[in-house]
Amino acid sequence: MSTPVATAAPVSTTGLAASVVEPAAISIDALGKRYGAGPLVLDDINLRIEPGQFVCLLGASGCGKSTLLNIIAGLEKPTEGSVTVASGKAAVMFQDAALFPWLTAGRNVELALKLRGMPRAARRPAALELLDLVNLADAADKRPHELSGGMRQRVALARSLAQDRKVLLMDEPFAALDAITRDLLHEELERVWKQTGRTIVFVTHNVREAARLGQRILLMSSRPGRVVNEWTIADTGSRRIESNEVARLGDEITDQLRQEIRRNAA
Amino acid sequence: MPPETSTTSTRPAEPAGSGAAGHDELRRLEAGLDSLQAVPETPRGAVRRTLDGVVPPILLLIGLVAAWQLYIVIARPRPDLIPGPFDVFGALVSAWSSDRLQIAVLTSLERGGAGFLIAVAIGTPIGLLLAECRPVRRALGPLLSGLQVLPSVAWVPAAIIWFGLTDATVYFVVLMGAVPSIANGLVSGVDQIPPQLRRVGTVLGASRLQMATLVVLPAALPGYFSGLKQGWAFAWRSLMAAEIIAMGGTIGFGLGSLLQQSRELADLSGVLATILVILFVGILVELVIFAPIERRLLRRRGLMAAGLR
Repeated sequence: MSTPVATAAPVSTTGLAASVVEPAAISIDALGKRYGAGPLVLDDINLRIEPGQFVCLLGASGCGKSTLLNIIAGLEKPTEGSVTVASGKAAVMFQDAALFPWLTAGRNVELALKLRGMPRAARRPAALELLDLVNLADAADKRPHELSGGMRQRVALARSLAQDRKVLLMDEPFAALDAITRDLLHEELERVWKQTGRTIVFVTHNVREAARLGQRILLMSSRPGRVVNEWTIADTGSRRIESNEVARLGDEITDQLRQEIRRNAA
Repeated sequence: MPPETSTTSTRPAEPAGSGAAGHDELRRLEAGLDSLQAVPETPRGAVRRTLDGVVPPILLLIGLVAAWQLYIVIARPRPDLIPGPFDVFGALVSAWSSDRLQIAVLTSLERGGAGFLIAVAIGTPIGLLLAECRPVRRALGPLLSGLQVLPSVAWVPAAIIWFGLTDATVYFVVLMGAVPSIANGLVSGVDQIPPQLRRVGTVLGASRLQMATLVVLPAALPGYFSGLKQGWAFAWRSLMAAEIIAMGGTIGFGLGSLLQQSRELADLSGVLATILVILFVGILVELVIFAPIERRLLRRRGLMAAGLR
């Protein structure tokens, strides 16, 4: 995959410049964030995320990775610097599925379609199609409390896909699930990503999860949050979380992560 | 590694998502896991549920009346101080046959119902304003909480001076009792909305109006509903108090008036019979109107404890 540097490659045909150099899906320049007069939470973040890329944002608790995600989502304002999402707004999925408990799974997805401005008649079939994408077509009439944690998270995924935005931001979406379910949802997410071509920014504190899913892994330091290292993984198709490849990369990242955490000991 | 597991690991690792076969396998895996994790529901029949709800209170009622009658038979108290169940029942029958009971029940229910609806119409916008507008809340919140604690009977003397012995007095007292409860119920309903739901609304691109109608109001419904229930209770109590104190003039003949009339006649059986009717009307409104709506509301959201289903 291309590194941020590679995008600066010289353009030969001037007339086709726009179509040759694709604009970044997300570009972040000199971003800083602090709350009130508190310490810096995020410091000088510079990122360029390519369209269709699967990026994992990895770091210990309190490194500001969720804050960064919220800023990209437009839920919080940066103190300095700027964030540009080329396609406008981004879809967001949280750790908690946050489905509306008074609506069925199908209606939850339909509400997202409604708020997107889809006409009433088209909503139901579109919602069923999205639920089918996450293997939940049969659960359309169930209410959130009747679904398991993994199913709720898949409905939430269908709902965020319903927004039809090119960028999908995910804030530790599988952190509260059991290992078996999480493992399956990794495959599910990977499949949905390949099928829909979304740009995904996936926040996690789970090293193996990042090594399993990401094409590009960004390691963040804590207090202040900075991007301290980055791994790009050659795309050789799917990899299982138990594979040697994931384990090796996981070890390497864990060593660095621990080093970053140790710096905070003093 | 035990040898039998090697057979599975020699299979070429074909991760799901890489082809149609992988996708099918993932589907089957997920379906299996979903059915393992599904919560089995054991719905009870409507008949059974009604029996479970109706039989214990009726048994208790029969027991209480029997104990009461037993006391009368054994201790033989003065009937003008402690009448027996049959005396009270007789008072009920005589009030019914003179049409006073029906008139009183209808008058009170009509006023209570109308007063409650007016209170909903006034309390709901106040509650919404309080919940969504910080400055208003800071200014008006403590006053409203105070009004909720203040017994609305305290307004009766003032209301009589302002409005005289008219229905306006009764309605004023009912409103002062019910409006604060309804408004506060809505405020606490809105306060209890998980912040995550609003964030989802924002992320999904809801406008202010859409946020209010599609997210905030439905999310606040359980709290609002318990405010309505409490509002009805306060309306009914205030109504009785007002009817007992304010009699005559153009004020009609309600249950409170019936109670007061029986007291003036030193008819303890009549007093007790009226108290029982007031109690019964309260229970009936709760059972027939509020309980079914509440059960439906909570069950749809999975907020009902398993034992209460």
